[in-house]
Amino acid sequence: MKIKSPRDFWAGLMFIAFGLFFLLVAQFNYQMGSAVRMGPGYFPSVLGAILAVLGGIVLFNSFLIAGTPVPKFHFRPVIFVLISGLAFAYLLKPLGLVLATIALVFISAYGGHEFRWKEVAILSAVLVIFSVVVFVKGLTLPFPICPSFVEICPIR
Amino acid sequence: MEAMFTNLGIGFTEVFKLQAVTIAGVSMTLPFNILMCLIGVILGTLIGVLPGIGPVATIAMLLPVTFNLSPIAALIMLAGIYYGAQYGGSTSAILVNLPGESSSVVTCLDGYQMARRGRAGPALATAAIGSFFAGCVATLVVAMFAPPLAEVALKFGPAEYFSLMVLGLVSSVVLASGSLVKAIGMVILGLLLGLAGTDVNSGVLRFSFGLAEMADGIGFFTVAMGMFGIAEIISNLEQKEHREVFTDKVSHLWPTADDFRRIFGPILRGTIFGCCLGILPGGGALLSSFGAYTIEKKISRNSREFGKGAIEGVAAPESANNAGAQTSFIPLLTLGIPSNAVMALMIGAMMIQGIAPGPQVMTERPQLFWGMIASMWVGNLMLVLLNLPMIGVWIKLLTVPYRILYPSILVFMSVGVFSISNQPFDCFLMALFGLFGYVCVKLECEPAPLILGFILGPLMEENLRRAMLLSRGDPFVFISPSKPISLGFLIASALLLIVIALPALRKKRDEAFAGEEHG
Amino acid sequence: MQRLLLLLALAGAVAPAWSQAWPARPLRLVVPYAPGGPVDISARLLAARLQQGLGQPVVPENRPGAGGNIGVDLIAKGPADGYNLVMSAIATLAINPSLYSSLPYDPLKDLRHVTLLVQVPNVLIVRPDLPAKSVPELIALGKSRPGKLDFGSGSTGSTGHLAGEMFKMVTGTYMVHIPYKGSAPALADMMAGRIDLMFDNLASALPSIKSEKVRALAVTTRKRTDFLPGLPTLDESGLKGFDMTTWWGVSVAARTPQPVVDRLSAEILKAMDSPDMRERLRGMGSEPPAIRTPDHFAAFVAAELKTYTGLVRRSGAKVD
Repeated sequence: MKIKSPRDFWAGLMFIAFGLFFLLVAQFNYQMGSAVRMGPGYFPSVLGAILAVLGGIVLFNSFLIAGTPVPKFHFRPVIFVLISGLAFAYLLKPLGLVLATIALVFISAYGGHEFRWKEVAILSAVLVIFSVVVFVKGLTLPFPICPSFVEICPIR
Repeated sequence: MEAMFTNLGIGFTEVFKLQAVTIAGVSMTLPFNILMCLIGVILGTLIGVLPGIGPVATIAMLLPVTFNLSPIAALIMLAGIYYGAQYGGSTSAILVNLPGESSSVVTCLDGYQMARRGRAGPALATAAIGSFFAGCVATLVVAMFAPPLAEVALKFGPAEYFSLMVLGLVSSVVLASGSLVKAIGMVILGLLLGLAGTDVNSGVLRFSFGLAEMADGIGFFTVAMGMFGIAEIISNLEQKEHREVFTDKVSHLWPTADDFRRIFGPILRGTIFGCCLGILPGGGALLSSFGAYTIEKKISRNSREFGKGAIEGVAAPESANNAGAQTSFIPLLTLGIPSNAVMALMIGAMMIQGIAPGPQVMTERPQLFWGMIASMWVGNLMLVLLNLPMIGVWIKLLTVPYRILYPSILVFMSVGVFSISNQPFDCFLMALFGLFGYVCVKLECEPAPLILGFILGPLMEENLRRAMLLSRGDPFVFISPSKPISLGFLIASALLLIVIALPALRKKRDEAFAGEEHG
Repeated sequence: MQRLLLLLALAGAVAPAWSQAWPARPLRLVVPYAPGGPVDISARLLAARLQQGLGQPVVPENRPGAGGNIGVDLIAKGPADGYNLVMSAIATLAINPSLYSSLPYDPLKDLRHVTLLVQVPNVLIVRPDLPAKSVPELIALGKSRPGKLDFGSGSTGSTGHLAGEMFKMVTGTYMVHIPYKGSAPALADMMAGRIDLMFDNLASALPSIKSEKVRALAVTTRKRTDFLPGLPTLDESGLKGFDMTTWWGVSVAARTPQPVVDRLSAEILKAMDSPDMRERLRGMGSEPPAIRTPDHFAAFVAAELKTYTGLVRRSGAKVD
């Protein structure tokens, strides 16, 4: 047996994994009920099983039908883009919108191909001003602007 | 007919009425209502373009401001925000692959591909023109047929909705341009993800893994931003040679004569489709853009182009979603029943203004009722006049180097997703879906069917179980002759399934033979 | 001199909020639901008004999740400094403690209840073609057709659901509960004749009652409501002592200093008593509540908690 379509091979495995996961979680935790009075486990169990079967078909086909190889994963953009978003989210409340935005811009820009200090600094300044004016002042989102330890924020 | 023109006359008089107002101590005479409409549509466009900040949050935040306005001015402005956001949502979908609204998910499919091929201008123009046409027609429909259409809406019970969802799901498979089985898999995965959260029927928390933040399930924006926005950014960043993704490829701004010929039919069909589904309060408007796209893809001569930048794939869903946005006012105005969260807010706005929404509004306060309808038409005109010249500006935006563009998109997405419940968890989930979306790109699993499944899953389960409860467990309730609408939808689903499956089966057999010969 | 000024400024910046007169900075009003619902709207109305009285901005912040529990827990566990307020409601204070298998806060011990804002009556409505024209007729109909009548509600464990369970209990009828996502779709199904009756809050049901798309049989409060003076109460209709309202108010963390609570309560009442605010809240179906002191509100919460704990247990509703 040779894998002719690696993309389908992995997609099939992924579907099987998700299908079994939902099926098993539903089976062990939620009541199935009957077709008449369906319990909370009924729908996810049925769908999970179907997904696993579909995964099986995709997996089976990957041995028959020729396909393309899985393109290379690039970890640099993945890591920096995801971390920049997380940094923003977890810094927003403690450090305020200004610093969180700066953190996001710098980290995400570092994930790109070229990183120019000056350009990124200007970009983050522009985005900080835009965010404060549009989101906090204009749309009145309840975001802190300054870090929480600063008692009196200069931007009010 | 004549009565309608009289009524519309009342409405337009109300909209253009000059009023004495005092602004900042200076009294002046202004066409105040029309000004409010303008403010509404501009604001709507802005929040529509900004991903994650939807009309619901904006209208809620603006409610206190509207207390000082007259009821009609307040409602005209809020309505303007709502359909303005529909216009704005398509802009970010086309330019940067970010669905600003759930209805613009399909616009991403071909709109963004058009932008990548330097045809962002025609795509944006098509969206604006299609929306305008649909808005005009739908406003007329609201004016002429609101009460009888409301009666039709009431014909839809749990059984009918379930069958409609089934039809929607079957047609969602058509959204995909690649493997059929994988598309079905993604739909089902979407259905499953949509089930997370508190179960409506039993109150059980499903797939929440002990996290209180998961109790209300996963938000639509979180999934859409992750799978479309983040995954797209990562994919773009990995391509060394395409550093400046769109630059110097922008050719012309306006659709060509050939484009106009191609979009005429889709706009017309999309409008009709959107008008019909928009009246259904239980998620009809949501389905309209998906459905319109599916129809075009199946009947179009250029169906091979779909998913690679077919202009029909922008025209049809954009017309449908704007038509649906207008006709979704029908249940609100005639029955007092909101068809979505924005409409629920409009009810709130009416109530604090001392107006009980419902059929009596039309007879008791004709100025308000017809004024609002007239304002929808005026608002749509404003939007198209506003959006067409803006296309040049938006195109300029695409010439901004990508290394500047993507951190900005990330900021807007993160702010939008964070603001949903003001906690980091949603951003965490967005990152997770971004990663998953990137994996899906690598494995050629398309996100659009997943998103549709995600939206429909909970609705489908809820209606299925409610129908079973109401019929005391009779599974034939969906196909009984006493429910012709439900029966019709299920027959249509079956037919569609055959239509979809036949060419795919044939292709697969050919491929399998071809594979054997080579292997 | 400059250095002195700088020092002063620094001292001002790090001094604890307590040394200054409350409120010295903006207040946060947590709304534990998504934007747009009645609680959210009244919070925004209140915030705009309260700002004038307190001289500091009051910023509404939506923290939806787990039926409101997440937002309320945030304030219950948060600083008791008077700068963190929450919109508390019958669901989070009286129903959820028994509805949810585990609640992270104690509605009586972890929170100080400041002011009751809104009390909306529930009404018993039936589909227009149901033969029952009054409550006794409805009871008779329910007894003659056990298990045949369907009653809708906005969600499992909502006041509408619990009122229905209470009704079943005291009348000895058996009806099937059909839960919806919000009362609007339930109303639509009732207009179309798919469900037979429901208990809905007055604000959402009033338009349909006035346009005769549904028929109101009774109001669930002890006294008749101004909105529909011709409508009898359930108490009058033979169900002695039936009294259920949907209510919400403002609470803060338990150890908030008494002077702050008093000032806050006074300012909120002042805002609520202004004629235009009254008018707006009336539009939402609320008559001004008779409960006007923090202690009275706390006692009311305790009483409601007791009532609903029993009711939820007997209804068998559960979220976990």
